[in-house]
Amino acid sequence: MLKKTFLSVAITMTVAVGAQAAAIPEEVIQASFYPYKDGVPSVEGLTPGMTINQSNVDRFKDALDPGMYHFIKNGDTEMQVGETTSFDLHPSYVEATRKYSADVQLGAGHGELSPTIAGRPFPQEPSLDDPRAGEKLAWNYKYGYNWGDSAAIMPFYWTMRDMDSGKKERTIKFNFHFLNFTHRTSQDPYPKIEPNPSELFRGTYVQALEPFDVKDTQLLIQRFEDDTKVDNAYLYLGFQRRVRRLSTGQTTDAFLGTDVMIEDFEGYNGRISDMNWAYKGTRYMLMPFFSHNELQLDNETHQDSDGYQVVAFGGQGGCFPNITWQLRKVYEVDSIPIDQNHPISKRTHFMDAQTFTIPRTVVYDRKGDMWKNWVIGQAHPDHHLPINKGTGVAIDDAFTMIDMQAKHCTTGQFKGIVDPALSPVDKFSVQNMRASGR
Amino acid sequence: MSKTITTTFSHLAVGVAAALGTGLAVPALAAETTWNGYVENATYFRDGVGLSKFRNTGQAQFETVFQTDSLRSLKLNGTLRGTYDGVYDLNDGEFGKDSRHSYLGENWHSNSTISSQALLSPGVSFPCENDPTLCNNLDGYMDHKERDAKFPDFNDQLDFIRELYISADKELSNGDLLNVRLGKQQVVWGKTDLFRVLDVINPVDYSRHNIYDELEDIRIPQWMLTAEWRMGPNEVLDDSNLSLVWNFDKFRPNNLGTCGQSYRMLDAGCFFSSYLNLGPGIPIIHDVEEPNWSLKNTQLGMKWEGVYGDTTFSLNALTYRQQLPSLHFRPNPTVPGVPAFDGVFDIKFPRVNLVGGSIDYYSMNMDAIWRLEMAYTQGEELPDDSGHHETDMLRYVIGFDKNIIIPELGTRSAFLFSTQLFGEHILDHIGTMPNDEDNWIATMLFKGFYKNNRLSPQIIIAHDFAAEATAIAPSISWTPDNHWMFNVGLNVKTGGKETFPWGVARDVMGDNSGQFEPTARFLNGPIGVANQEDEIQFTVRYSF
Repeated sequence: MLKKTFLSVAITMTVAVGAQAAAIPEEVIQASFYPYKDGVPSVEGLTPGMTINQSNVDRFKDALDPGMYHFIKNGDTEMQVGETTSFDLHPSYVEATRKYSADVQLGAGHGELSPTIAGRPFPQEPSLDDPRAGEKLAWNYKYGYNWGDSAAIMPFYWTMRDMDSGKKERTIKFNFHFLNFTHRTSQDPYPKIEPNPSELFRGTYVQALEPFDVKDTQLLIQRFEDDTKVDNAYLYLGFQRRVRRLSTGQTTDAFLGTDVMIEDFEGYNGRISDMNWAYKGTRYMLMPFFSHNELQLDNETHQDSDGYQVVAFGGQGGCFPNITWQLRKVYEVDSIPIDQNHPISKRTHFMDAQTFTIPRTVVYDRKGDMWKNWVIGQAHPDHHLPINKGTGVAIDDAFTMIDMQAKHCTTGQFKGIVDPALSPVDKFSVQNMRASGR
Repeated sequence: MSKTITTTFSHLAVGVAAALGTGLAVPALAAETTWNGYVENATYFRDGVGLSKFRNTGQAQFETVFQTDSLRSLKLNGTLRGTYDGVYDLNDGEFGKDSRHSYLGENWHSNSTISSQALLSPGVSFPCENDPTLCNNLDGYMDHKERDAKFPDFNDQLDFIRELYISADKELSNGDLLNVRLGKQQVVWGKTDLFRVLDVINPVDYSRHNIYDELEDIRIPQWMLTAEWRMGPNEVLDDSNLSLVWNFDKFRPNNLGTCGQSYRMLDAGCFFSSYLNLGPGIPIIHDVEEPNWSLKNTQLGMKWEGVYGDTTFSLNALTYRQQLPSLHFRPNPTVPGVPAFDGVFDIKFPRVNLVGGSIDYYSMNMDAIWRLEMAYTQGEELPDDSGHHETDMLRYVIGFDKNIIIPELGTRSAFLFSTQLFGEHILDHIGTMPNDEDNWIATMLFKGFYKNNRLSPQIIIAHDFAAEATAIAPSISWTPDNHWMFNVGLNVKTGGKETFPWGVARDVMGDNSGQFEPTARFLNGPIGVANQEDEIQFTVRYSF
């Protein structure tokens, strides 16, 4: 905390004595937030409505990440190509970028950033000549619009599957809630919630509903504005009826036995300073972006009064979401753990340039072999639940984490709701965990 | 999978509103009820004894969430449990009303000292079915009949209702939350596993499986009112709340197990149902003085807890009753130094005042959690040579939790390593007390996860330093799907060798040496006294 204060003072003084940074040029804003305004990308032979499968995948290898190429080549799944559509973020976030990002600078140390208020910290196009370009993209992800200022996934079905047999081993039903304490742009109050004595940036609250043996398990992760500070993580176990602190060892552990680490949540759920970030280039790639209401949905897993149905799964072992994929502008970024004992050697993230979500990540084990593939399907908010229309949030709508070595996967089916009433501040407290337990 | 039922409530809604004084004036409330639960069989075999448990449990729990605009939330929770332990039918030679003992304490020590050879008679199994005098003397405490042991949830206290409470959250004008919870419930304080320092609001039923079952399953729920003022963050604290708990239920002590049951902590049940062999025999217990229900006999606690940076803390205060029996010697009015002929001791449960606190801290450098919990009590009565001695007590636990990834053990999942040191200091210690002035029990849990956490081996080790007794409990559980769980484990103990001089042996027999009976049971503790309870344990559970 003290370190960050000194950094803030230093940067503030620099700004004060120097010339005021120039405003971000509007063409930078337009290029960053509206990359498809002047047209969508194309690849020869690739057309919306077509299917990429084992027979034609080699023609489109350059438009695929290595993980999806492997699965299609292997006959594990096919890919339906959809039209590229613009996922415009909420105008308040774009405006916050105009207003606050001109002065944003990386600090001298890893994981340090000058004080930021809201918006995308580095809207400029990354450069391969910039040795810290990867770090800037990571900051864009951390302070991305993501789920907006708050949202909930209620319910959220996680199913563990044997990829060979297709057997569903376990299904855990959760509720997830997210809240930004700072960097807020669209939900009152903004840009921050006060009081906030520990300067929290974000809270993630998870409640397991089923099955019986994990019912009432709750997880609370509190992330700090100061990225050098380790997250606070708390676990409430229903049978113990008390809140336990978690050490970070558990954030790289299989979350409740699934193939997903806590650190994997949303693409990457750790500190910027835990990784070395390397920008590898800009690509146009097929990415899991779609309109939920236009999909063939799963009519068995979830039914409720508003008729909402979750995304269906198919392919080998039922490990692949039945979605469509769009050709989109992507930043390829490697994150390499600084901790030598980390269970992975690196992740290759494919960050969507428009939304700065991370819908595709390939995870490599410590030997450097491909280990897991992480797909987080993004649904357009205007073609989802009515309440999500106009929120500018790319709705996380279906995920799969495939352990290629164990031939095992965990799939996720969402009902994502952007409604501040579902995620009040007090839900992100230790006391709420005790109160919500039995 | 749980079942969800949507319905409406009218009378209940009005009742809830009235009880909470919310002014809720709607004729009916929409409500959604979720049910789930399990059925389970636990079959344990004890070395040299055979079947020691054939427990069949069905448990269902529900939560009804009422839709109301007047309150932030309004819920009704309940847990119902029914248990049948078939060991009393299937191994009635060892356990049950027809079981017999050749000497007092034969299930944990040899008959090598004079106290159990000549001075004390064997305990009478289920005295209410074998000895009307003892049954009358023990009235109200550890006087169960065999049927009560077979069906422990079905009794006059309606223990099959494990929990039944209404909980309401009201948002105050400043944004704070007020929570009120009323009904039969468990209130858990503290941060300790296995042993209790602050977690003393509910008494515990140790007859279910000594200290080894989850406390959630063996706490005896009480009718209580709790109120919490959740203040949330302020300029200093990230979270803060103040809670009051009023246990207005009739006092219930810990259940240590009636003589004849397969688990009887410290073998106290058999000692209480034995006789001092003087003349025709003097019952060890003359009377059990359980406090009647009255306002002044209710129990009251207060807790302030919060989060400050990397630290979570609580400060606790409680006025309650000692849940373990205190033996008060009854002198003979006519013959000095000899107990009254109609019973040696009365059992009492004195008033105790407790202050304490807990703290846990995440150490970034060690990537580990430290836990500290402490309680200071006034008014407790501990056993001594001739009955009881009042003393202040200090109990504390230092715990350390760390998750470690050990690829060499064939899994990428982290192992949980959790260890704690439970300490007890008797402030007014005297030489005739069997317990050491200071004692410690160390526990260690090492738990691993394989096959997506569905296969989980673990080992628990507990060592009592004064008793020189150790329990080792390795087990492995397999959860193939959402419904089934299979567990097989061993529970092996050593110890139980400590003796302590007894004034009666000295005065009557001139034997000043250490005796097993009756006070050494307190020195040997729950692990040492169970030294002959080595078991292999199978559990299968189907959840719905």
